[in-house]
Amino acid sequence: MSTGRTMLAHGRTALEPRRLAIIGIALAALAVWTALPPWMIRWEGVPVALGLLAAAAGLAAVTRGERRLGSWALALAGVATVAAIWAQTKDESSLGAVLNTGLLAATLRFATPLAFAALGGLFSERSGVVNIGLEGMMLMGAFFGIWATIWSGSWVVGVLCAMVFGGLLAAVHAVFSIHLRADQIVSGFAMNFLALGLTGYLFISIYGLQGTPPGVDRIPDVHLGFLHDLPALGGLLGPVFGQLNLLIWVVLALVVIVHVVIFRTAIGLRIRAVGEHPRAADTVGISVSRVRYGAVILSGMLAALGGAYLSVGFVGSFGQNMTAGRGFIALAALIFGKWKPIPTFGACLLFGFASGLAQRLQAEADISANLISTLPYILVLAALVGVVGRSVPPAAVGRPYVKQ
Amino acid sequence: MTEAPVLELRGITKRFPGVLANDDIHFDLRRGEVHALLGENGAGKSTLMNILYGLYRPDAGQILLNGSPVEIDSPRAAIDHGIGMVHQHFMLIPVMTVAENIVLAAEPTVGGVFLDTAAARSRVEQLADRFSFAIDPDARVENISVGQQQRVEILKALYRRADILILDEPTAVLTPQESQELFAILQELRKEGMSIIFISHKLNEVLEIADRITVLRRGRRIDTLAASGATETELARLMVGREVLLEVEKAPASPGEVLLEAEGLRVLDDRGLEAVRGLSLAIRAGEILGVAGVDGNGQSELIDALSGLRKTVAGRVRLLGRDVTDASADERLERGLGHIPEDRQRRGLVLDFTIAENVVLHDYDKPPFARAGWTFPRQMTERARALIEEFDVRGGGPETLARSLSGGNQQKVILAREVAREPSVLLAAQPTRGLDVGAIEFIHRRLVRERDAGRAILLVSFELDEILSLADRIVVLYEGRIVGEYGPNVSEHELGIAMTGGRAA
Ligand SMILES: Nc1ncnc2c1ncn2[C@@H]1O[C@H](COP(=O)(O)OP(=O)(O)OP(=O)(O)O)[C@@H](O)[C@H]1O
Ligand SMILES: [Mg+2]
Repeated sequence: MSTGRTMLAHGRTALEPRRLAIIGIALAALAVWTALPPWMIRWEGVPVALGLLAAAAGLAAVTRGERRLGSWALALAGVATVAAIWAQTKDESSLGAVLNTGLLAATLRFATPLAFAALGGLFSERSGVVNIGLEGMMLMGAFFGIWATIWSGSWVVGVLCAMVFGGLLAAVHAVFSIHLRADQIVSGFAMNFLALGLTGYLFISIYGLQGTPPGVDRIPDVHLGFLHDLPALGGLLGPVFGQLNLLIWVVLALVVIVHVVIFRTAIGLRIRAVGEHPRAADTVGISVSRVRYGAVILSGMLAALGGAYLSVGFVGSFGQNMTAGRGFIALAALIFGKWKPIPTFGACLLFGFASGLAQRLQAEADISANLISTLPYILVLAALVGVVGRSVPPAAVGRPYVKQ
Repeated sequence: MTEAPVLELRGITKRFPGVLANDDIHFDLRRGEVHALLGENGAGKSTLMNILYGLYRPDAGQILLNGSPVEIDSPRAAIDHGIGMVHQHFMLIPVMTVAENIVLAAEPTVGGVFLDTAAARSRVEQLADRFSFAIDPDARVENISVGQQQRVEILKALYRRADILILDEPTAVLTPQESQELFAILQELRKEGMSIIFISHKLNEVLEIADRITVLRRGRRIDTLAASGATETELARLMVGREVLLEVEKAPASPGEVLLEAEGLRVLDDRGLEAVRGLSLAIRAGEILGVAGVDGNGQSELIDALSGLRKTVAGRVRLLGRDVTDASADERLERGLGHIPEDRQRRGLVLDFTIAENVVLHDYDKPPFARAGWTFPRQMTERARALIEEFDVRGGGPETLARSLSGGNQQKVILAREVAREPSVLLAAQPTRGLDVGAIEFIHRRLVRERDAGRAILLVSFELDEILSLADRIVVLYEGRIVGEYGPNVSEHELGIAMTGGRAA
């Protein structure tokens, strides 16, 4: 740490690494822009050259100690070059098909399940328990949500049931990591395998090969027709917010609620205390294990809501392993958002945007769809490389508390 | 005795695996008194207090408050009974504010749910005013000094309306000035009817502040006596069970050639601010150079820079005539540097290693402990056994984990490791912090012996007594610079003035 500082102090004479990185990021942005209106440059050499320059600047910044911004420049250089070359093959109208207000609505749709899981994980990790099992808890929510909806015919029952089963799986994780003081990472992984196996088995044995029946009751959309008629912003707000799933509105409210709970209530103060310094919390009379049990179970319930949104809210069916790693992306968002609700939601939006973009590009692009679908994951990697070491987790996270 | 004591402990016994930490201890506390608890490292003081605070359950014995027996099975219960404790290692959450730390678990709320930050702040301010503490309720605990952190701990107890206050070694981490301020606060609290249990290894402090003194040795209560009329020598004898020399005996130094030299050193602290600002010093063979100064004037950064654990921004370091400015800590060790670090638990020892593993921490890869990539555990055990014997490490053998030793014995393990390598230069940072008189006597004598064997020793200490009794030459560090150099017979007063920056004209 002190090494970095001394280097900084020495490096004032040369071009500052921080500035180098920012130049790199700007060059990457420029590479994309050249392919879009009004420039519409149609020669690959331009973005490739700009991309290489951007990467060089990023690399130089990284080697000179500016790891965070430097890696951003590097990652963006790659993404931007690919994006620009692809955009060159398109005319103005098909570019419009990708970059429109629908993309913003898609961003919200993709971000929602991530945000439920990430906000859940926030409770767990703030209390000092790593929850790698978010993925499994989402999957439980996705399956039991649709199962109970089909069984009862009501999405309300489905959502409640999803939360119960997500909470149950989280309770198992809690027993292992709090009571039995098992390694929390190992326990979390076990939860994921447990959920994958259990839901996969039940899915096949209940619904067979034809899958969940069609016409399942769905979590309704909220129609806000008046938004379209607003004078100035109607053109933007209408298509984005005019017809969103109920759970998207719930997650938006939840971000605010979690922020208030964590930072403005007595319970939140205690959760944070337990995650930072459990012994100190113990000596003022807080029951560390009770707080941790509560937080972990709550995290499972919220993650399950994210799962239920996928199955009951979004597609109306279930497929094996339908969460496809979203629990892990949620975890990345949590780290990226420094364990704070609002920045964490911001990170979810970013990943949601990448997913939305990837989905649209797959339809429009003639390059490999598989390649494009890696976009969100590349973004996750870049984000994590960029913030690792910068983002300080709760001090006692991952460590079981041993009462004397 | 008309009034029942506010607190009485009867026959408290606590056994840990292999140790009888408390053996049938009787203790009582009267209203409005300061009752000191004295004892060697590992005598069982903290254990007894942790039982009283509900952190440990006793195996036998009874606790009475105001004459009636009570069950204290959790800190919650202790708090409810009006007991507050300032722990040996502070129980504060660094990333939270002073006010948040104080009100935690007893928060003022709006509607029973929402934190009432304004109320919390004003109650903390009120309390602080009443005892004239200067403290900012909105400061983050990680940004305030250790002395202030301690006030936060005391306020925590006051906020919970404690009328019995336990202070476990409150002065071990304080500067002399801060200790005096603490004593003023304790006097104030006593006037308000608070009863205080005070643990310390510093006999002069105990005599100054206490009304009565209870001495523990190896888990048993040896005696309870009035402070007035007691002497340091007497207390030391009761604690250790033999006569203790409080003065160090040593011949005048006969310094030889310069072994370690620093020139124009500039070093940054963790926040990137300059902590050492152009410092030069030289230590000769056969002398102890004492570095006096109030904590936080660049001592840690100086030691780090000399030992190679921190990069210097400017300046040179020469060890035995060779420039080692850019050499790593490991290379410096190879070339004859020994280092007793300030923080024994974080830097001095690997707490989850055995004593044997800890004593070969530097040389595990060299003969006789290793050859051609193979290690020889038997040799390590042998070395550890010899050092345990020579340095009188108590509480375990070569296979004992460092973690389970008491503080004083952990320190002896570090001293043993560093001295046994026969370094030419020994950096000793706070070598006796938190140790009992017996252990201090041992370490002081050993340092003098190493000096007489021709080593150059740099001693950093916040204890003026320690500097004055050991050092052959004294420099005062103030705001990262040396502001004065003195012979061994300088007065405490003169040093004190230099340490606060005001050089006597
Ligand atoms: N949690 C524990 N498990 C096992 N042994 C312990 C534990 N806590 C203390 N001990 C042992 O009990 C004895 C008494 O320890 P205690 O901490 O009470 O000593 P102390 O008088 O406070 O010493 P010091 O002055 O070093 O703080 C020591 O031998 C110690 O090793
Ligand atoms: Mg103790």
